[in-house]
Amino acid sequence: MTTRLLHPATVAAGAVVAALLVGVLLAGLAGADPLTTVSALVEGMVGTPYAIGESLNGVAVLMLVAAGFVIAYRAGLVNVGGEGQLCAGGIAATAVGTGLPAGTPAVVALPSVLIAAAAAGFAWAAVPAALRAWRGTSEIITTLLLNFVGLALVTLVVHEEGLLRQPVTSSETLPQSAPLVDGAHLPSLGLPRSPATIAVAVAVVALVAVGIVLRRTGTGLRLTALGHAPAAAARLGVPVARTRFLALGGAGAFAGVAGGMVVATAPAVLAEGFTSGYGFSGLVVGLLARGSMTALAAVAVLLGFLVSGGINLQLVAGVPATTVSIVESLIILFIAGSAAWAARRRAAARRPAHRPAGAPVETVGATR
Amino acid sequence: MTLLTQILVSGIGFALPLLVAAVGELVSERAGALNLSLEGMMLSGAFCAVLGSVTTGSPWLGAVAGVLGGLLLGAAQALLSVRALADQIVVGIAANALALAASTFGARLVFTGGTEVPAFDRLPIPVLHDIPVLGPAVFSQTALGWICVLVVVVTAVLLGPRTGRGLRIDATGEDAVAADRTGLPVRRLRALCILLTSAMAGLAGAQLALSEVRAFSDNMTAGIGYLAVVAVIAGRWRAPGTALAAVLFGLAQALQYALPALGVAVPPALLTMIPYAIAVVAVSGLAGSSRAPSCLTVPFARA
Repeated sequence: MTTRLLHPATVAAGAVVAALLVGVLLAGLAGADPLTTVSALVEGMVGTPYAIGESLNGVAVLMLVAAGFVIAYRAGLVNVGGEGQLCAGGIAATAVGTGLPAGTPAVVALPSVLIAAAAAGFAWAAVPAALRAWRGTSEIITTLLLNFVGLALVTLVVHEEGLLRQPVTSSETLPQSAPLVDGAHLPSLGLPRSPATIAVAVAVVALVAVGIVLRRTGTGLRLTALGHAPAAAARLGVPVARTRFLALGGAGAFAGVAGGMVVATAPAVLAEGFTSGYGFSGLVVGLLARGSMTALAAVAVLLGFLVSGGINLQLVAGVPATTVSIVESLIILFIAGSAAWAARRRAAARRPAHRPAGAPVETVGATR
Repeated sequence: MTLLTQILVSGIGFALPLLVAAVGELVSERAGALNLSLEGMMLSGAFCAVLGSVTTGSPWLGAVAGVLGGLLLGAAQALLSVRALADQIVVGIAANALALAASTFGARLVFTGGTEVPAFDRLPIPVLHDIPVLGPAVFSQTALGWICVLVVVVTAVLLGPRTGRGLRIDATGEDAVAADRTGLPVRRLRALCILLTSAMAGLAGAQLALSEVRAFSDNMTAGIGYLAVVAVIAGRWRAPGTALAAVLFGLAQALQYALPALGVAVPPALLTMIPYAIAVVAVSGLAGSSRAPSCLTVPFARA
């Protein structure tokens, strides 16, 4: 087999196609013919300017969560807590955004909402980060557990009137927050008939910035050194514990901002389930990108559009929306399996063996 | 039934599946394989158990189907993480997402009407069952529940750290390279441990679905599998501690439903958090003084 066939991009594309085929088969099982399935999916992804805008907003959230994930992953830390950090960011953004006086101008309201979201995301990740940095507790387990706490916290604040629930006027008042003040709503990106917000632009800028920091600066080098060889990095003077703490905290801040942005997008309220699995999908995007920001953007676009297409799949073709979740998890399993296998084949094809860039897989957990 | 009894009955109801899954996971982790997919294995087990029970009309065949359902994910986890050297954590999380989505999808297709699920009835042990408080909670399990207890005891004893098999498992998890040099089949051992874990997780799912809930509902494990993984860590990778942690987490779960029944005005969401918050504390506080198997999550391949 040639090396080109074993290139990560080829392997990933193959995995995506295989998973999509399974998805179409499943849709058939649910009683939809393949043509209807595919057309409903495409319609939901790019059928109208509205659909494209919705998809783009989802892509922006995925990009931000994934960019944060990549920062921590560089330092050898796996942030499974995107969901909880999104929740923390969303709650903080709501608390600030509903607390501001009604006429607050956007120049004040928007930054304060997003900064609050970032701070909350950082604080949420700071607990597992501190435990990992100074006590050696596995961040995978703690960030994972805090997801459940975060999701329950959202349920709590939107159900209690003393917290963030909108004033209950009748028995039909939904358990959700009051809308954020107008100034705190994310401005539209300016595309005609499109709900796309500036979140898309912010995410792209953040992605480029993270790419530059990781590739071209001392900070990036310290993170990479720590991820590949903690002992060597420590000997070269990298403050190991502090770097780990800040890397995971930073990942939380990114996810927090993403959560704030979800809340600041129409209808601009906090409700149960507002994270809609972005935390998990963001982790997937970050992992599949394998350290490349271009790949990250591409995978985020793919998954973001796939998810919003899946909603249409349910509406039009009557196929359960979980089909998309099945496809998504199959993509990960296929890529995880075939990538590791292909990497070894590549290495075998051209000795001396080399490790794929940006994936300190061997060191994760090895030092605990 | 007094309230304390009720809490205990419901707590043991959660604790038993959690215990089976945790003791199974303990074996894998000692061999160096972390199965975050435990949650998915349990859910898959619960789904297949109800499916099997409804189709065949026999809860026993349902329980067998549940074990097979767990094994299905276990085979995938073993194949990908042991054979293809994929990241264990990534595979585990993806397998959970797959099990959640697939079982929800399957439930939409299969469990459409309000079909009666043939389930297990409780078999109280005479005399012991009459012990106040403890009796109804501990000594009144279903036939499948007693099998669960048996499986837990047999696994803990036969694969204990002082047995030959247990030593081989520990060696694989502590230093895979050295174990390989002494002639232990590292990868086969790990794969077998993962399969054992997944079969036990499937059994745990079946117990939850056919003995306790007596039905399938979307995401019915709701994080119990993750708590089982935490129980292993909190139990410092030894069976008695793991079992104790599993029972405590089970009781914490039960508290969610018991406190509102008691008339205590606590928001339910606050109670949902309790087991997870306890788990974070347990992992950080207790595990700080112990050590995980050195090769946990590190894939093995001969250089």
